[in-house]
Amino acid sequence: MESATGSSPSPELAEALHRLRSTLARLKAELELAQADGTPVPAERHLGDLNEALGLLRAVEQSAFGTFSVLVVDDDARLAELTARGLRRLGYDAESSDALRDIRPREVVVFDLGMARGLDEGSRSALKAARPIVVTGATDPGSRAVAAAFNASDYLVKPVELENLVAAIKRRLTGER
Amino acid sequence: MTTKLLVVDDEPRTAEITAELLRRAGYAVEIAVSGSEALQRVRASSPDLMLLDYEMPDMEAPEVLDSLRSGADRIAFPVIILTGARHAPGDQVLGIERGASDYIAKGTDRQVLLARVRGALRERAGESRVIVNGRLRIDLARGQAWLGEHALKLERRPLLMLQFLAGRPGEVVGRAELLERVWGTSYSGFEHSLEQAVHEIRRALKEPGWIETVRGIGYRFVTQP
Repeated sequence: MESATGSSPSPELAEALHRLRSTLARLKAELELAQADGTPVPAERHLGDLNEALGLLRAVEQSAFGTFSVLVVDDDARLAELTARGLRRLGYDAESSDALRDIRPREVVVFDLGMARGLDEGSRSALKAARPIVVTGATDPGSRAVAAAFNASDYLVKPVELENLVAAIKRRLTGER
Repeated sequence: MTTKLLVVDDEPRTAEITAELLRRAGYAVEIAVSGSEALQRVRASSPDLMLLDYEMPDMEAPEVLDSLRSGADRIAFPVIILTGARHAPGDQVLGIERGASDYIAKGTDRQVLLARVRGALRERAGESRVIVNGRLRIDLARGQAWLGEHALKLERRPLLMLQFLAGRPGEVVGRAELLERVWGTSYSGFEHSLEQAVHEIRRALKEPGWIETVRGIGYRFVTQP
């Protein structure tokens, strides 16, 4: 689809921009009402709205710049953060978590297989849909099968060299195209 | 001793609110509202860590990092870059090459900001000396060196030698001194190890010019563009 001024934004970008405007408009309207009535500002709800807006802004930026983010999940929080920081230093937008949280669109998930047992059905299918890069400490053949059951795009054995992880991320992204 | 932080942002309200979050966590925080003011403050009060806004009208973060590195005072403290927008990875690599220790997107949760500040400070306390010279970065704690995005495959001795030379760019370092500092011996029987290490460093770098042989004396590290 071409518009008069050039190519139109992707549906993903248009959707994120639309939702961003709507969230900010809601916030503004609520603040205007509170000001007019002299009532206290619902700080908690506004914080939630702002976090949502920042999340949407991130989606807009990623769509506009063609970037993506990486989520490193490992129950060893320190190790997860070290890995994420290593990735950030290489230019990736990476964060760590010691539990699986909601996966964002365009997010590459690096998942420690040791945490597979604790997942509920919803998280399990979300993880599968994300085609995670699965990391494991165990070298037994069973791990590979479990990784496959998670629809893993790659399978790495600990200790994972940053270099190998980056290669896996690149493979995962190429596979997507 | 209270840990001293320097927050740099051209938007005074942003700088002040970031500073306030950090003060509540127990840090002593100073503010600078431009790149040039940041450089002055660094020289006046040598902070333990700097949080640096990427985009500022007078200087962008890479320029600030370059200025910090030029002259006698190399960046000896961690710098965390705060970005307004997520750029293409290329921009961030630019900052890393110039010696930033981490990145935070503006608007990131307070807890994450504090955790990254703690992480960068802890890494420094752990004596992980990171030397940055042009596109070359050496992280001794991790036993790894990078040329740009490319990780260099180096054994411990060549890595130590590279670190030692890169820490004194432009200076001719004598063979005896290298043997003593890297191999812990001045016994001349190790001379071939020295040559072998230089050979390995050059092969790993894959680019000429970084390590010059000064005939009969030793070696010199020359930062390449």
